[in-house]
Amino acid sequence: MTHHQAANHTAWVHNKERSNMFMMRVMTWISLRMGRRIARAVLHMIALYFLLFAPASRQASRAYLRLALGRPARCRDLYQHFFTFAATIHDRVYLVNRRFDLFDFEVHGLDTLNDLLANGKGLFLMGAHLGSFEAIRALGRKDPNLRVVMVMHEDNAKKINAMLTAINPEAALDIIGLGHIDSMIKLQERLDEGYVVGMLGDRTPGNDPLYPVQILGTEASLPSGPFRLAALLKRPVVFMTGLYMGGNRYSIHFEALADFSNITRSERDAALQTAITRYATLLDQYCRKAPYNWFNFFDFWQPASTENSPKS
Amino acid sequence: MQENPNSIPSNSPELQREVAALMVECLNLEISADQIIPDAPLYGEGLGLDSIDVLEVALVVSKRYGLQLRSDSADNRHIFSSLHSLSDYIAAKRTR
Repeated sequence: MTHHQAANHTAWVHNKERSNMFMMRVMTWISLRMGRRIARAVLHMIALYFLLFAPASRQASRAYLRLALGRPARCRDLYQHFFTFAATIHDRVYLVNRRFDLFDFEVHGLDTLNDLLANGKGLFLMGAHLGSFEAIRALGRKDPNLRVVMVMHEDNAKKINAMLTAINPEAALDIIGLGHIDSMIKLQERLDEGYVVGMLGDRTPGNDPLYPVQILGTEASLPSGPFRLAALLKRPVVFMTGLYMGGNRYSIHFEALADFSNITRSERDAALQTAITRYATLLDQYCRKAPYNWFNFFDFWQPASTENSPKS
Repeated sequence: MQENPNSIPSNSPELQREVAALMVECLNLEISADQIIPDAPLYGEGLGLDSIDVLEVALVVSKRYGLQLRSDSADNRHIFSSLHSLSDYIAAKRTR
């Protein structure tokens, strides 16, 4: 590969959403045509490819793993990190097609979730780019009484649903796109009907005010929007993650994160701060527990104001 | 929906001021109510609110004036485009 080509790769890998979409396309194609065993062999090639030819992702992985592992990352750590990412995206193809029988799910904290659901007023599930969202969703799709809607930016919503529909037309996510008052009112109506509303709280979509937090002993910024929404709509928030544990095993976790149900306006700011800090603590905890499941392949620990670091 | 017989005329400056004051209070804005330009957009480069802020305004005014907001109403985006249009809507639909 010439220097020029490598630079181009850096440019597209640098764009986190585009690189994720590229991976999804490649893996969907391979999995649907070749089956899980052969496709997993291809996964190793993909992990190797990223290790060799995606310097920006590699750099981000190395910086993250040093914090999560508490030691300098070795080459095999980076490889394991890329492989885990590729494996979860690959498994999504089967999960979306309801092949739940292929997997072994271990679920923790389901009672917490069910207890909070029992009052029928809905709740927020707060995830992150940590592990497999589709593994958690598989759990929901097995339960016909559970109604789930995702909140995300409209651009992402379109891309994700285009992908899911390509795999299985019946698997499109019920998504509410952020950005307009209509969707906000719709979200409130859904909660009143008892829906579970899923959000990912670790990436900032734009000019959302940021909260400084400590994750893995290092300062990072988290967007306030997802928690502001939960606080405004006065609902409980449950943390969720579906960690890939190797082979066909997933470990799904739910943990109570915050409850804004009875928060008054004057208490709201303090409650928001507490909730975001707790979210950061949970991210920290699960990153250490399953370090290769963190799928933010960009400089997460960079202050928000100086994004776009100079490319080498 | 019927017009409320007690409604203040739609372009009432009193109602506009009252709604502006509600917005300043619920969002802790750093400007005073009379600094909100009635026709300036609430979003983006106008007042600079995001959709969560606008939702908060929607929740507060619907409670204060007894409005029923519905997500399938085609007018929502227009209603919440400026202080002026929001006040007009309140004047027409208020039940308290």
